[in-house]
Amino acid sequence: MALAGRVDLGERRQAALDLLTQYIRIVDDPRRIEEWPALFSDDAEYIVITRENHERNLPIAVIRDDSKDRIADRLTIIREFWGAGGRAADRHYNDAWPRHVVGPVWVEFNESGDALVGANFVVYQSVQVDVAPRLLAVGEYQDVVEFSGATAKFKSKKVILDTSVLQDVFVYPL
Amino acid sequence: MNSRPKSPVTRASPRGVPKVLQRIRWPEEDNKIPREIFTDPDLFRAEMDAVFTGPVWVLVGHESEIPQPGDFKTLSIGAIPVIVIRGANGRVGVLVNACAHRGTRLVEGPSGNVLRGGFRCIYHMWTYDTEGRLIAVSLPDDFPAEFRKEDYGLPRARVETYKGAIFATFNDEVPPLLDYLAELTGGLDRVLGDGALRYLGSIKVIFRTNWKLYVENIYDGYHVTALHTGFQVVRLRSHGGERLVPNYERNGHLWGRSKSTPVNELTPALRDMSLFDTRTKPTTDHNMMVVFPSGVVTDYFDTIQLRYVVPLEPARTQIEFAFFGRTTDTEEALWHRVRQGPEVLGPAGAITLEDAAALERVQLSATARGENVVLKGTAKRFPPYRHVDEAPIRHFYHAYRRLLGFPLNGGTGGARGTR
Repeated sequence: MALAGRVDLGERRQAALDLLTQYIRIVDDPRRIEEWPALFSDDAEYIVITRENHERNLPIAVIRDDSKDRIADRLTIIREFWGAGGRAADRHYNDAWPRHVVGPVWVEFNESGDALVGANFVVYQSVQVDVAPRLLAVGEYQDVVEFSGATAKFKSKKVILDTSVLQDVFVYPL
Repeated sequence: MNSRPKSPVTRASPRGVPKVLQRIRWPEEDNKIPREIFTDPDLFRAEMDAVFTGPVWVLVGHESEIPQPGDFKTLSIGAIPVIVIRGANGRVGVLVNACAHRGTRLVEGPSGNVLRGGFRCIYHMWTYDTEGRLIAVSLPDDFPAEFRKEDYGLPRARVETYKGAIFATFNDEVPPLLDYLAELTGGLDRVLGDGALRYLGSIKVIFRTNWKLYVENIYDGYHVTALHTGFQVVRLRSHGGERLVPNYERNGHLWGRSKSTPVNELTPALRDMSLFDTRTKPTTDHNMMVVFPSGVVTDYFDTIQLRYVVPLEPARTQIEFAFFGRTTDTEEALWHRVRQGPEVLGPAGAITLEDAAALERVQLSATARGENVVLKGTAKRFPPYRHVDEAPIRHFYHAYRRLLGFPLNGGTGGARGTR
């Protein structure tokens, strides 16, 4: 229930959870990668960084898309540079189907009414050549979700990797 | 004054090839490489000795990664886990990461500082200082009468630096670093400058490929336009380039150098083209170097990068991508490097994915027997080669074969096999 001039945190909480679920469904389906940038606000950032660098305050990140332009460019790199979504013969990587397992998820709010969303995550890749899925990454999401009316978008999505060593290379966002 | 600690390995200078490797047949032509060298587990073990503790210098870090006394990082030289540390006295040392008592690994993590307290082994509380000297043991009563702490310091590799790049060796026969580098110092100077770099952080990744396949990919200029099609999307070209092999008669170094298309002449396929922009140098000249056997030093665009190669298994290799700025950088320049580096030359960046994919596929089919063949540019026997040539790969394998004792003119090296 939204009261005029007041924010309903219960609604926002649900919207933030729904946004995260939407995110996971999109990044787990390579055919839907086009929908990924729209999950972010106009001044958003998407950062993937190791816990080691995060805690040592070292600025080098695995991915540092610190503007909506960079987030949109990621799509261009995936499609045009690496040939994703095109013919198999044109792809310059080894096909893998990603799968996120996320949870639990916790939501708090800051003074501006943004939702601070945290969650544990694990990402597997299923590769045609292997019998078993490969564990790609494990860690924690530290996200900020902002609201424009009823619409929720990521203002900041930080993916903190627990290990200092990436187990593999990857195409689709974590 | 501590007595010289025992070397942890016997020096590997094989006369002839060990019997177990005599089954590997090298073709007469030096541009043919038998595929089994990427999968054979006995050969892998032999390489960890003959190459990585052979008469080579292994790149293990840069001084700017360990600026304060007590700072350390960890990695392996071949199969030997080591601690690269700035001692309390300010000098860089490389210590074997194994307690001299019963072999426990002294530090687990990738980095830290042990100025206060040194290294303390969790098993029996043996404590070492930042030079690796044993300074305390728990309950020393009832030790053999001749026990002296001075005899149980951590083995140390020899260390030399060039413009802050830290090299280590476990071998007594390798010449001094400057001799070893020879003319490669010209390229190292361009990238490292006066050595006053600022460490920005590292990313490590596992490649599903043999370490030699990872390294030879850097010697290979042929694949760049075929595999890295992203460059074509923006119409980025290298021109005026060449591939050198400094000191090729004695070593297998690589120095590839070239110019790139300036960013304002590229097709703006990305919204943020700073990915390909060179702002901190007057020209787009760049260098891609390998200090044989495995140290990578490069400066594409505004990215200054060192890579450290750790072979894990015949089909798995860990690569550490370390990124740097210069101490003279403005905040803006530094941040530009931070944004550019991993995106263009990092494991999640534009081109590394493609190399990883190709190299994994080479590894997957390496059990198919037969030989890989190096063709482009091989009409020439000696450098310089063109930038698009793959011929420099031959020199990597010349140096490799010398270290292993494999014959340089074909065969198995087993006619008078020893051991």
